[in-house]
Amino acid sequence: MLNRLRFLSTITFVGIFGILGYSIGFASDPPPADEVGASVSVRMYQVEGTLPVDDPNSTQWASVPESEFNLAPQVHWPERIQEVTVKSVKVKGLHDGQNLAILVEYEDPTEDAKDAAAVEFMVGDKKAHFAHGQPMLQVEGGPVNIWFWKKENGKALDMSAKGFKTLTTQEKQDVKATGAWEGGSWKIVFTRALKTEDEKDVQIEPGEWRSVAFAFWDGAVVDGLVKEKGSQKAVSSWWSIRAEPSADNSIFAWVILGLALAAGFEFVVIRKLRKGQSA
Amino acid sequence: MRGPIASGAILLAGMFIFLKFILPLMTAPLPASLIYLYLALTLSGIMIFGTMSASGLESLMGPIFRFLSGEGQSGVGHMARLAVLVLFPLLVGWQTYTRLAPSDAPPAENRTIHPAPPGEFVGLANPYQNNEANINMGKGLYAAYCSPCHGANYDGKGTAAPGFNPPPANFSDPGTIAQLQESYLFWRIKKGGVGLPVEGMPWKSAMPRWEVELPDEFIWKIIMGEYDGAHQSPRTWEEEE
Repeated sequence: MLNRLRFLSTITFVGIFGILGYSIGFASDPPPADEVGASVSVRMYQVEGTLPVDDPNSTQWASVPESEFNLAPQVHWPERIQEVTVKSVKVKGLHDGQNLAILVEYEDPTEDAKDAAAVEFMVGDKKAHFAHGQPMLQVEGGPVNIWFWKKENGKALDMSAKGFKTLTTQEKQDVKATGAWEGGSWKIVFTRALKTEDEKDVQIEPGEWRSVAFAFWDGAVVDGLVKEKGSQKAVSSWWSIRAEPSADNSIFAWVILGLALAAGFEFVVIRKLRKGQSA
Repeated sequence: MRGPIASGAILLAGMFIFLKFILPLMTAPLPASLIYLYLALTLSGIMIFGTMSASGLESLMGPIFRFLSGEGQSGVGHMARLAVLVLFPLLVGWQTYTRLAPSDAPPAENRTIHPAPPGEFVGLANPYQNNEANINMGKGLYAAYCSPCHGANYDGKGTAAPGFNPPPANFSDPGTIAQLQESYLFWRIKKGGVGLPVEGMPWKSAMPRWEVELPDEFIWKIIMGEYDGAHQSPRTWEEEE
């Protein structure tokens, strides 16, 4: 009798405290603070209807939440540059289940022929260093997929790299981009199918996070030389990007099951208690 | 309520207040998961102590069981019981939902800040004398190569710093170079971010691999200049008994 009571009391307490404590205990650590004003991820929101794939100035973009990332001059490896024009970039994303559109917007006081912008992704399962998939000494790294837009071409190149001086243009070109400069800002839309047949490309699966990084070149000519070219650019670190998944309603079945199990548990415990009392 | 339940509740509440507000005055804020662990231990102690005898068990658990089974309840007690019985399944349902719902946040990055160095970089001593000439040379080299990210004031606030994730180390913070031996710094500077093991997340690091450009002598002197400039000392070898 005593042991049965002990057993019941243990289960009751462990059950209630476990669930309460787990949710309160583990849930109440705040996430690490982001820098004020800076984001850590880009969400590509799903839309019905047409995507603004070739219009950086489409009114559709106005209602899309933006993420902002700080940039740094490329000071890690030769050829270095100590100061760059583009200090930060605002990024917005949309997708329609088939294709995606990413808008990058940044300040550049002059429109120059050699202005350029790039978006970089890790490809496949292996991590890749953000500097063109530079080899790492203790970790086997993978390649990167770079979407490179140049004003002078007016379009984007689908490229791959796995280390410095290995940047190549892919055989199969899947990316398109459209740029528009106005009043001291560039806006460039990159668009591509979420998934392609090319194994050199990043494959975007809705709901799954991918790594993304950015680079920008101010092609202004200063003293007869182009200010930023090649490895002399504004760069970002790896951040995260995701095509937002559509709502999955099957989890509500599990929620109802959980509710029913908890109610059943209560029912059983109380019945045992009442039997114990009347014994 | 009186007796062991009230005492147990007061002990738990007191323990929580102590862990959350008083202990951090002497140490550092405790993570919520650790507070939860200590509270669970406290509760286990209360349960063990309270149920050691049959009469202890009855006075601790009896009121609770009577509350749950509804024996002899009326008015407020009855409403409270209904509330608990309704809220518990709702809580379980809510917890199920939050565990199953697609996570809204990007993957958590649990990067090891100071992963273990390779064997050949353990126990190396700085071969250069700690004198003013070497320190000044080190500071000059630091200004040329390191300050764009790590800052002219050794505080991680270089002009290039805001763009990086993770940000450049702040040497004036006692949690960085003051915790490390010079041998460790030699590894990190020489082999750079790409030289980190997987738990250090080398793919994210902007730290250059300086061995490609700088001789060992420069690196050792930069280390000296850096400690001096940041007003820190390296961690020293423990005295052998």
